[in-house]
Amino acid sequence: MNATNRGVNRAILFTVGVLLIGVGGATVIAMLWPVAGDLWKSWLSAGVDWMVSADQAFRVSEATTVSWFTLAVLTLLVLVVVVAVIVIARLGGGRSSVVIREERGTGAQGSVTILHGFAADAITQSLASQEEILSSKVNARRLGGADVLHVSVTPRQNVSPVDVAETVTGLVDRLATLLGREISTVVTIHSGIRSRLAADQSRVN
Amino acid sequence: MTSAVLKRVARRETHSPRTIATVVVLALVALAAIYAGVEIVLHLLGAGPLLVAPGAALMWLQEPPDQYQSLVVAGALLSVVAGMVLAWLALSPGRRPKHELGSSSYAVIVDNGVIASAVAERVRRELDLSKGAVVVSVGHRSADITVRPEPGQPIDRRQVRTVAESELTGYELSPRVKVRARVLRAADMEGMS
Repeated sequence: MNATNRGVNRAILFTVGVLLIGVGGATVIAMLWPVAGDLWKSWLSAGVDWMVSADQAFRVSEATTVSWFTLAVLTLLVLVVVVAVIVIARLGGGRSSVVIREERGTGAQGSVTILHGFAADAITQSLASQEEILSSKVNARRLGGADVLHVSVTPRQNVSPVDVAETVTGLVDRLATLLGREISTVVTIHSGIRSRLAADQSRVN
Repeated sequence: MTSAVLKRVARRETHSPRTIATVVVLALVALAAIYAGVEIVLHLLGAGPLLVAPGAALMWLQEPPDQYQSLVVAGALLSVVAGMVLAWLALSPGRRPKHELGSSSYAVIVDNGVIASAVAERVRRELDLSKGAVVVSVGHRSADITVRPEPGQPIDRRQVRTVAESELTGYELSPRVKVRARVLRAADMEGMS
């Protein structure tokens, strides 16, 4: 889980997909159906003529063949690359180091900040002593302006997820009582190769 | 599940963000744009093109040479297929093989594999079956349970279903899961092996 903007991801996929379908479909129709092929050719030649005339009409100076039109095309291409890089760079993120934050004035004690390390230590230490839980990891996330504690655990195979959830949420409840604040928490229970190898020995044979 | 934040977190955990597809598509688009830019700049500088000069490319689009026609059609069909895959990725929900547990005040997300192994264990213990005799696979809306009793061990399909359903009811999964049970008889197994 991270703060990736999923709407942007899907919008990009959809736009590129529709463009590919449009261009590919138009090409196929133009190649296989002579009427559409003629239309395609006339449109394309009109487009090329327009580009050539634009190229000639907007020369930067008399001495060069460089035109504002070419520069505009180049700028557009650079823009595409920049947008792509920005979107890729903004993927992920949302990691936070704070579990609870309280501004000065809202609580009795002034401003309070509980850091992720405190909650993580408390929870992983307690879970380490549990038989049925093989490994656990605690992260803090910031999503939509709210701090969320993320506890992910890998239990031994064949253990009921309800029991695991009760163990973990019980710990978080006690931590919340200790701190006197509610902690929004998400618990993820994973299966993995490790849980399969550490399967409970069968007692009914 | 109380707050809106937890609801949002649960949704994000159970659905794919489509990050990999987006990165691949953006990288390809950026590469294409860089290539087009390089060709244009080379043309402006009067240097030879890397592959094809911009003017020649436009002419080629207008009137593709006859010997390449089938290649062009194949490429176009490929681009249509790729476009459909991308559109499907953009519009389909992209569910991950996970369920949400309902019985907690926090958001609890469980891998389907964990649910399957827990249900298998419960069925195995309740019906006194040997290890490996119960195979459970959990899908988005259904759980398939296959039981292979020892020869002579009477096991009814309904029994299996009742046990599995009682276990799954305790989980309060969302979305809900329907149980389908199957009992393989000794005769079936002979046919299979």
